[in-house]
Amino acid sequence: MPDTRLLLLLRIGSFLCFAGWAWVHFYWQAPYGKLLWNDGTFSLAEKLGIEWDDFVGSGANDGFIQKWSGWIGWLYLLCAVLSLTAKKASRWQLAGLLGGCGLLVILSFAKYLGAQQQLPMFVEHGGQMLMPALLVAALAKGVRHRTTEIVAIVALIATFAGHGAYALGFHWPTPANFFGMTRVILGIEQDAAKIFLLVAGILDFVICVGIFISWARRPCVLYAAIWGLLTALARPVSGMSTDLNFWGADQFVHEAILRAPHYVIPLFLFFLWKRESDAPVADLSISPEQTNLSTES
Amino acid sequence: MKLQKILSFICAAAIAAGSVDLSAQQKAKGKGKGKGKGPGLLAIPEVEDKDRICFALYTVHDKTLKLTAQLYPIPEGQPREVRLEVKKDGEWSEVAKTTVIERGWTAPFRVENWDDSKATAYRVAHGTEAFYEGTIRKNPTDKEEIIVAGYTGNSIQPRHGGDISRQDLIDNVKRIDADVLFFSGDQVYDHHRHYAAWLKFGRDFGEIIKDRPTVCLPDDHDAGQPNLWGESGKVSTLQGASDGGYIQPGDYVQEVERAQTSHLPDPVDPEKIGQGIGVYFTNLNWGGIDFAVLEDRKFKTGPAGRVPKQGPRPDHIRNPEYDPASVDIDGAVLLGERQLKFLDSWTQDWSKSEMKVALSATIFCGGAHIHGAADGRLHADMDSNGWPQSGRNRALAALRKGYAFHYAGDQHLATIFHHGIDEHRDAIWSFCVPSIANLYLRWWEPLEPGANREDGSPEYTGDHLDGFANKVTNYAAANPEKKPAGNLLNTRSAGWGVVRLNKDTREITMECWPRNVDVTDDSAEQYPGWPRTISQFDNYNPPSWGKLGELTFDVEDPVVQLIDAETKEILYTVRANGKTFTPGAPKGKAFIVKVGKDAPDTTVSEKAEVGSEPQSVELK
Repeated sequence: MPDTRLLLLLRIGSFLCFAGWAWVHFYWQAPYGKLLWNDGTFSLAEKLGIEWDDFVGSGANDGFIQKWSGWIGWLYLLCAVLSLTAKKASRWQLAGLLGGCGLLVILSFAKYLGAQQQLPMFVEHGGQMLMPALLVAALAKGVRHRTTEIVAIVALIATFAGHGAYALGFHWPTPANFFGMTRVILGIEQDAAKIFLLVAGILDFVICVGIFISWARRPCVLYAAIWGLLTALARPVSGMSTDLNFWGADQFVHEAILRAPHYVIPLFLFFLWKRESDAPVADLSISPEQTNLSTES
Repeated sequence: MKLQKILSFICAAAIAAGSVDLSAQQKAKGKGKGKGKGPGLLAIPEVEDKDRICFALYTVHDKTLKLTAQLYPIPEGQPREVRLEVKKDGEWSEVAKTTVIERGWTAPFRVENWDDSKATAYRVAHGTEAFYEGTIRKNPTDKEEIIVAGYTGNSIQPRHGGDISRQDLIDNVKRIDADVLFFSGDQVYDHHRHYAAWLKFGRDFGEIIKDRPTVCLPDDHDAGQPNLWGESGKVSTLQGASDGGYIQPGDYVQEVERAQTSHLPDPVDPEKIGQGIGVYFTNLNWGGIDFAVLEDRKFKTGPAGRVPKQGPRPDHIRNPEYDPASVDIDGAVLLGERQLKFLDSWTQDWSKSEMKVALSATIFCGGAHIHGAADGRLHADMDSNGWPQSGRNRALAALRKGYAFHYAGDQHLATIFHHGIDEHRDAIWSFCVPSIANLYLRWWEPLEPGANREDGSPEYTGDHLDGFANKVTNYAAANPEKKPAGNLLNTRSAGWGVVRLNKDTREITMECWPRNVDVTDDSAEQYPGWPRTISQFDNYNPPSWGKLGELTFDVEDPVVQLIDAETKEILYTVRANGKTFTPGAPKGKAFIVKVGKDAPDTTVSEKAEVGSEPQSVELK
């Protein structure tokens, strides 16, 4: 695939991620509750000279918290636009996208706090957090530069390791809606859903390992792209109904859109590694000799 | 190569997280410990065989004892049979045995023809070593005042004061010698480990539960989700569950309900809903008080995608300019048809009862303005039973036909409301109790002062419209501190409630106590606005009504029923207090008046109207 198309793929992934979250900020409620409402945040606000009523609002009027949430939404929208328009030569545009990374880190940290500090909640957002950085690396260094590839690999591992840790449910309990979506979409019972998610969780970790094995990495990322797409689509597919207003699109579609990095990044790696046999872009793989595995076995 | 090693390390670390946790889980299983991080509050202790039984809950209704013993896990090779024995003439005698249900380790017993005219010592037995003793109380039919202690919101998180001992609650129940315990919901906050949390609940409260009838209503958090619109057992997939249904699988919900409700009287209509989930709505007649156990979440419609978006969450309305009628959509259910049918017959049945109390998870209005934090002002919250409005009005209309008082929780904010349907104060009263430890703060803080307030009462009291334009009259609200105030229980308005039902005077007294006070100490103070005493007959006494002629009877406390002469619809049925009763009724309409000793089987007037002549009625 030409480099321009690979770059376009990354632009689309970043755009969809920011656009999805912008939708959440403007239309729904961004998940900053646990981050904003605590003694530490208020103490900081006090040090900055913000009074209590200004901080939380009078009830009839918005306070700092509500206004702040609204402003953030505009920043997400700006980052979505930058995702499509940023150029290598424009440092402020690239800096803006990196700022978008920071926004996504804050948001992911807030979700992590809201999930009772379960590590996979933060880790599985790695793909989303790093998506703009990946685009910046591709713009600044080139889509086939080693830095770009490393960022993509780290983002993929984070996404699938976090997701896999939840799907396995060994330490952090599997979110119940994972089971619900599986049961509704596949029409299976709970026990079958458990087995399904267990297998899916194991495969999530297999992907994380498989991308370091030269013969396995393209099938792995292809599977990751398909699985990432399916899990993103699972929200609207399981939840939308003709009985609902707008078929429930406003409730569920953004859940699939903001998860675009979950399938775009593996897809990027799939196409990136297409020419691997001709000209390896980076020495990241483990050769069959190193693993004592044969590609013909 | 260096880079490869770094990436390999990252990958290995991620995988190790999963595998290490697998080991931890396997160890936990082996040692009977819970999973997940945290301070070990929900660790399941390894117990000796003699301590295998954690606690037991029971009710007695209509001469049937139902008791559920809650056990710790029984090791392989040990018997699964559990026995119930009672003491007769100083000797233990087996009255029932059952096989423990391993999913949740519950042992439910049912004993018919139970003699409730005397207290009976009981013990649950497992194997040869484990015995758990308690007392099945005498039915207190001859007691003048029935005391019901009420609780909600049992957070165990230290940051809410949840790690503070419950001993004050135990001591106070013993001091007032409560006749019934009512846990209205959120006994368990852990969304994945109900069993472990339920055992902890039992260790905390078993000492008082074992000796008195207890009603538990599993609410949203018990069922493993933040809010609950049960929607007849649908599967919920939306974050927050506002699409309706259950997030957790059906067998998890069944386990929760088995643990918390299998000791309740048999459900009046036991047909299961989706995912094999049962129902438990029923009534418990104890000490002359007829309690309706409502499942106000089970059939309720989820709002997401069904009502026009009015706020940042599908279930929250932030826009004060919205049209309340726009969310009162056709087909939205609050109580199911089966529940309304039950209430219809329950309000007409006054055999062996003098007063009626409805028990449910939450109250029938939007009972708070600010949610979660002081910035969280909502116009309305569809998790409350103020929505859907038509369903709310149907529920209140059904309950007022029996002059039922409403006792509930869930809100994390203690309140007293007098509800209205067509006019303010034309329906029942409700008392929402405060949380044992308050996970989530709420405030009742209307922007406008209430109308028709009592002299000297706060501006937030009086007649209001809630966010759904439901008519409500507030009499008290135990609002927490506005700013984050550390871990102290009472700055977060934690506490518990007491309702005293006086059968002689037919008065209902509501008490709202903070934590860690001795309620028998004269210096102990309740939250502002409590105590408050109302009459049973205030539960259906619209301001616009007049009075029919006084009825005088030749028997004490007969049952009186008014029926609309034109529509034949029952206006209400109630047991009179004493030998006289002056029925209230709407002006300008005619009513059929029926009277009887225990059921309204004698028609004494075909066209009674407001202002009609007094009448003597012979029933002997």
